[in-house]
Amino acid sequence: MIRVSENQSVRSLVSQALENKRRLNDLSNQLTSGVKVSKPSDAVDAGAISRYKQQIEKIDSYSSTIAQTMGFLQFQDNIVSQATELIVRAKEIAQQGANETLNETSRAQLAEEVFQIRDQMANLANSTYQGRYVYGGTDDADAPFDQNSYDEPTDGLASVRWVFDGNPGKDGTKSVKVTDTISVNLNTPADELFGTSMEALERLARTLSGYTTLPASGTPDGTGAAYTFPDDFHTQTEDIKATIDLLNTARDVDMIPERVSLGGRLRRLETGEALLELTKNSAREVLSRMQDADETEVAANLQQAQTALQASYSVTAKILRLTILDYV
Amino acid sequence: MTNFSSKILGNSVSAMTAQQALLANSSNNIANVNTPGYTRREIAIQTRSDPATLDGILRIGSGVQLGEVQRLTNKFLEGSLRTASSQQGAALIKNDYLARVENVFNLSGPQMTVGTAMNDFFSSLNEVGVDPSNLDLRLNVLQRGQDLVTVINNTFQEIAAAQDELNYQVGQQVSIINSLTQEIAGLNHIVAQREAVGVSAIDERDQRDVLLNKLSEKISFDILETPNGAINLYLENGFPLVHQSTSRPLEVTTTPSFASGDLPPSLSGGVLSYVVYNFGSETAPSHLDLTSVIKNGEGALGGVLELRGTADTSNTSAYEADGDLVRMAARIEAVTKTLLTSINQVYRGNDEDTTTPGFEPSSADLNGNPPDVFGLFDFDFSGVKDADGDGIATIADLTASGIDSFSSILRMGFSTPDEFAAGRDVDSADGSTAFVGGNGDNAVALADLRTQVFAFDLVQGTFTGTFDELYNSSVSIIGSLKAAAQNEYQVAEANLLSAQTKRDEFSSVSLDEEFANVIKYQKAFQASARMIRTASEIIDTIVSLI
Repeated sequence: MIRVSENQSVRSLVSQALENKRRLNDLSNQLTSGVKVSKPSDAVDAGAISRYKQQIEKIDSYSSTIAQTMGFLQFQDNIVSQATELIVRAKEIAQQGANETLNETSRAQLAEEVFQIRDQMANLANSTYQGRYVYGGTDDADAPFDQNSYDEPTDGLASVRWVFDGNPGKDGTKSVKVTDTISVNLNTPADELFGTSMEALERLARTLSGYTTLPASGTPDGTGAAYTFPDDFHTQTEDIKATIDLLNTARDVDMIPERVSLGGRLRRLETGEALLELTKNSAREVLSRMQDADETEVAANLQQAQTALQASYSVTAKILRLTILDYV
Repeated sequence: MTNFSSKILGNSVSAMTAQQALLANSSNNIANVNTPGYTRREIAIQTRSDPATLDGILRIGSGVQLGEVQRLTNKFLEGSLRTASSQQGAALIKNDYLARVENVFNLSGPQMTVGTAMNDFFSSLNEVGVDPSNLDLRLNVLQRGQDLVTVINNTFQEIAAAQDELNYQVGQQVSIINSLTQEIAGLNHIVAQREAVGVSAIDERDQRDVLLNKLSEKISFDILETPNGAINLYLENGFPLVHQSTSRPLEVTTTPSFASGDLPPSLSGGVLSYVVYNFGSETAPSHLDLTSVIKNGEGALGGVLELRGTADTSNTSAYEADGDLVRMAARIEAVTKTLLTSINQVYRGNDEDTTTPGFEPSSADLNGNPPDVFGLFDFDFSGVKDADGDGIATIADLTASGIDSFSSILRMGFSTPDEFAAGRDVDSADGSTAFVGGNGDNAVALADLRTQVFAFDLVQGTFTGTFDELYNSSVSIIGSLKAAAQNEYQVAEANLLSAQTKRDEFSSVSLDEEFANVIKYQKAFQASARMIRTASEIIDTIVSLI
């Protein structure tokens, strides 16, 4: 005969009620927090959850880097487009100036505008973005083009010479990681991008205003004397023509490839961002499936656990009330 | 002629006495229905043997006589109850302490973990690469670095504190065990003494069983009952905890006689104690090491020792000890050591001038100053940190400092944002250096370490992977350890419940049964009383004939 003592039934009833209550507690925690896995032991592979969370955080950080980088590159795109327009205008003036029907005085009048263009170009090369010189290389606290002077003339716009500041780091490039594997170049050093343009504009303006610029090719060294007219008039024409070639080089070799490159980098960032977004969404989805509580399911389970707890209470109460004493 | 009326009287009186005794026994059972460890009792009643009569023809019987009071206990059930208590004792400890450690590896909520802090730190390094001289971004690197250091300190200290507490628990559990074994030995003495002279020691046996159950929650042991009623308790290796009326008290020591020289440090820098028995004297101890025997068993002390870990006296590092806490701490420590060595090495760049002896860093901060050997991550230590003076932070330097755990003394190597060496030498010539604020090559090189694979030295093994991978695998490990402990605990609890139920089924008082018996005994008593009246009537009738 199997004996059932009071202790035994009390014990098993209590343990069942406690178990039901624990389950109820677990489920209500899940429902209020919205997650079913909050501690590593709640899931079989907690490391995977941690990995997905890290991935999402990393993507968030990359996304913010991409947004910043895009702003920076768009700013540069704007600068290069303005610079190209300046070159086009300068070329128009040069072509006009090369016409030998213009005498040296008319040419000198044209020089005015070219000097303006040159200074504008220098301003573009010395642009700042959030307080840093965009084309300053890694030495971005210092302007890439500094003002210097020519020996002749001693005053006026023709005396001003823009020289590239060759400090260490000026020709450095910066890059940033936008995903674990993709890095994007942030800047082009000023002399690479603006060197030829500045040289061409300066030579053009000086020639038009009646001064030679030495040496005949390469970076001007600050020497160069006034033409003697009318003997040098034809030489002046040839010098003007030479600057047209330089301007063409500046446009075709420096500006246009830079715009193409900027466009390419911007597209790469956009693609990268879209990919990151995609990865993030799928990671989120997986994470949610792994970690988040299905509210409907939890609510249903909660209801079930509640019913079970009520049942165990009511059974406990009924059984404990039964005693032989009521019948003898 | 046989005097039958006296027979009737005699039998009835014996029955009335017996029924009263049975009722008294039932009343005792009912009184103790809720007494822990009480086993229900039965009085064995038997027929009283007939005195030899002369004629010897008609043996009617001489009524009933009381036998011994018996405890209704089953050794097998008591044994399985003790096994279940032992399992539950060990599982409870593991579950509780692992839950605490698991907290620092949480997967939800705003609380920072080593994993999230590491992630934020690498992200901040990548961001500073965009604009290296930006003080806000540099400050972010410093703060994320400090967060990482703090969370490593805390995580490690949480684990070390758990080990310390368990170490303290060893002493607590041992003193409880000692008082229990002493009491059991005392009861052994009483049981043996009483039963030798035929006096029942039934209550003492009950008490002893209760104590055995309590003891089994603390430690697992084997029982051998000796013919005189005493029980001997042995550990797995045969060491007697209780032998007859003497108990052998265990001792907890941090200066065991079997160790030559200093014991290895614990995670917090203390010492893991040993559970021993002292065969020698107090002044000249001769210790028998029982630590691993107890650890391999169950019970709270077994659980405490298993989780805390036990060290070999010849170990030199806390990470050579066994135990899950040590394994988890070794992973945190491996992260710390990699930060202190590999990361600091990258932080200082290449040797700027390979033609001159010594290491000249190729990185510099905003002020153009090169970082120290422990420039990015540093540790609190008053001695010489770069012991070999080669200007490179290596494991050998860390070892030479004599420090076992760096995780609790890890700190940032710089304190203001301009001191962060984000840039590298922009001059390619050997020996000449030029630094510019806008250069972020060093920050980018550091950020690249996020995806770099390191061989993390876990002392007991190596983990090859990235920082993230090491952390994620640690989360998996602590998760499965805790889940296993929880599962073990639930199984142990279920086993205990079923063992208790089985024991109750056999030994516990059932009020229904007792009351049914009470009615039965009462009726029998009334019937016997009625028999006396009948005998008296018979005698009356006979007397009236005279």
